[in-house]
Amino acid sequence: MKDKIIGYIKKFTILLVLFALIILFGLINPVFFTWQNFMNILTQQAYVIIAAIGLSFIMIGGGMDLSVGYQMSLVGIITAMCMMWYNLPIWLSIMIGMITGVILGLCNGLAAVKLKVHPLIITLGTMTVYQGISYIISNSNTIFGLPDAFKFIGQGYVFGIPFCIILAVIVAAIASFILNKTYFGRYVYAIGSNEDAAHLAGVNTSRIKLFVFMICGAFVALSSIILIARAGSATSATGPGTEFTCMTAAVLGGISFKGGSGKVWGVITGVLILGVLSSGMQIIGLGTYPQYIAKGLVLLAAVGFDNYQKEVHVKKDKKIA
Amino acid sequence: MEYILSLRNITKRYPGVIALNQLSVDFKPGEVHALLGENGAGKSTLIKVISGAISPDEGEIIWEGKSYSKMTPKISKMNGIEVIYQEFNLVDTLSAAENICLGEKYGKFVDFSIMEKKAAEIFKQFKIDIDPKAKVERLTSAHRQIVEISKAISRECKLLIMDEPSAPLTVNEVDCMFDIVRTLKKKGITIIYISHRMEEIFTIADRVTVMRDGGFVKTLSVADTNREELINLMVGRELKENYPKTVNANQEEALRVEHMTGNGDTDISFSLRKGEILGFAGLVGAGRTELARLIYGADKRESGKIYVDGTQVQIHSTTDAIENGIGLIPEDRKNQGCFLEKGIGWNIAFNNLKNLSKSGIVNKAKAKAVAEEYRDLLQIKTPSLEQDVKNLSGGNQQKVVIAKTLATNSKVIIFDEPTRGIDVGAKQEIYELMNNLSKKGIGIIMISSDMEELLGMADRIIVLSEGKMTGELQGGEFDQTEILKLASIS
Repeated sequence: MKDKIIGYIKKFTILLVLFALIILFGLINPVFFTWQNFMNILTQQAYVIIAAIGLSFIMIGGGMDLSVGYQMSLVGIITAMCMMWYNLPIWLSIMIGMITGVILGLCNGLAAVKLKVHPLIITLGTMTVYQGISYIISNSNTIFGLPDAFKFIGQGYVFGIPFCIILAVIVAAIASFILNKTYFGRYVYAIGSNEDAAHLAGVNTSRIKLFVFMICGAFVALSSIILIARAGSATSATGPGTEFTCMTAAVLGGISFKGGSGKVWGVITGVLILGVLSSGMQIIGLGTYPQYIAKGLVLLAAVGFDNYQKEVHVKKDKKIA
Repeated sequence: MEYILSLRNITKRYPGVIALNQLSVDFKPGEVHALLGENGAGKSTLIKVISGAISPDEGEIIWEGKSYSKMTPKISKMNGIEVIYQEFNLVDTLSAAENICLGEKYGKFVDFSIMEKKAAEIFKQFKIDIDPKAKVERLTSAHRQIVEISKAISRECKLLIMDEPSAPLTVNEVDCMFDIVRTLKKKGITIIYISHRMEEIFTIADRVTVMRDGGFVKTLSVADTNREELINLMVGRELKENYPKTVNANQEEALRVEHMTGNGDTDISFSLRKGEILGFAGLVGAGRTELARLIYGADKRESGKIYVDGTQVQIHSTTDAIENGIGLIPEDRKNQGCFLEKGIGWNIAFNNLKNLSKSGIVNKAKAKAVAEEYRDLLQIKTPSLEQDVKNLSGGNQQKVVIAKTLATNSKVIIFDEPTRGIDVGAKQEIYELMNNLSKKGIGIIMISSDMEELLGMADRIIVLSEGKMTGELQGGEFDQTEILKLASIS
């Protein structure tokens, strides 16, 4: 029984950290402890949650995607351009944006599979390419004045709940379903865990990897659409940087860098920890720069603790063997 | 001084397990002393006590007359104790010479010529042609093993502990290694030799100590004992027979391979009957695993046709192979056979996951039922199906790998080194299982570097050498020397 409780605590350490932070900031400044503030945090983080879940698919499959930020930049510019410069209907612009995301993911996947180079390197390359394309298309302009109906995605409310939060919940549910319930999901874990074994077990590893990159592309595109809808404008500088936030959140949330393990709720918790840190430190009067330091330290502490636990575990296992 | 090393009443406890129980054993200078015991008998723990990797809870270690309550890695190295572990401890990206001289200093700067000269000398002693400049990652596992031995003896070494050194080696290479061991013995180096292969002990060892469940059973002079006695001492029970071979082959064809070329193999044709166990013999690098991978669709073939049950099948991927009823149990169970970080049930259901799913969604109840069925069939010893495979013993891990393949209902199963590195009891179980499968009419291809096992289990043996078929022997005419001769044709 005692072991079981300890097991649960270990499993949900990250969740406890989140609650501890919330209580800590709440005690320092009660303003933090308001419904409005929680909704703010969730609204601000909705797009990060969606992109981070997309990235998690790739990371669980043993890959990495550095190009997430510039995928967002490119998707945002193209979506805004369709609406504002070519006067396409909103739904069509969104469709085009989403398809762009899937295609960008597909390009990453194809390059990774065909060139047989680690996706980290591949996406380092494609990131730069996407950056170039984005700035050429936008000509470094900001596209202002997105239509209100479009802005609803980022700013609107349904039954008193921000629409973007609803979208994030739906995405999380879908992702969780795919990863936990379908054989495709198990294949993703398998490839991340041991690619050779997966191949010999009859998995078409190349095809699964392509799909994984495309799924990430779609999620990232949605994330980008929410982001520009919230801002009401798009530039090529909207999005870049998100890849590192996502990576931090994923690692915080227990997605292994080696692949093969991780859960959707963990990633969401990871994003929320970063969000709570930002918001909380803002409220108690600490600026952006101390926030960077805090986020970095939290990440180091989390992975350090995780590794320490694993080592204890390994030692225990070894002793039994 | 009669003994170079004596262990007195060594006890090592782990939570819930006594790994070593009041163990006492003596080693004479210059002898080859074999340690024998099933997996879990405590051999590895004993090695670690001697090398100082772990400290015993009780007992005394007497090295050259001096008493220690425990060793440390530093003290044991200073005293000239070197260990070659089962898993390689080499830096892949460095050259053979650099690995051998790792940690040694010659002058202020790195001097490659000295290192390479030293390495070349050792290789020459061993009569092995390895380029000292070659990166270890490019060497075969047999050559890596030799680099490993060279590394150990390049220092002042009085006691060399070898843990399953022959596992990755072929017959010829084992002979060559034995020559090396004999040379070392002549130099007065004491050798503790651990192997599951009984015949090696009779070839190379002077004395043998049998261990069981962490305890000392008996030390015998090899000249005064025999195989049966040792096996009985090891398992503590009578084994029925070494190879429980039954003949089940019928006339129907299960698999036919015609003119298979690719992956280093040229023009290989053979046919496998239902219920037949077809052995593939050859040296490491003869192309046996490569052939298995071609048939299984894991590597691309240049040409060749595959027939299952008499009809030609198109196999371009591992998925195709499984769908056409071909299963493969890969040689490297940890890196290719299973997912160590995942549960037993997760692993067993994996190869057949598509059939256990409906519109893409895994039927967990069905998957669990399959996992339970095969856990019981193969008698995988585990408290729970959730247990990670990495926590199982080698034999049980191998059973999980086999269960994974069996769960796909294959008509033809390729066993690539099915018993490498697992203990006697588990080996017997796997042989029994192969018999049962062949009774059901499943065609079995068995690739093994353990000659005895191949002779004991196969109905027919095909010999490969350098990617070509060099001979075929029928059941009545198995002859080890003949096979070796065929395997060495170039």
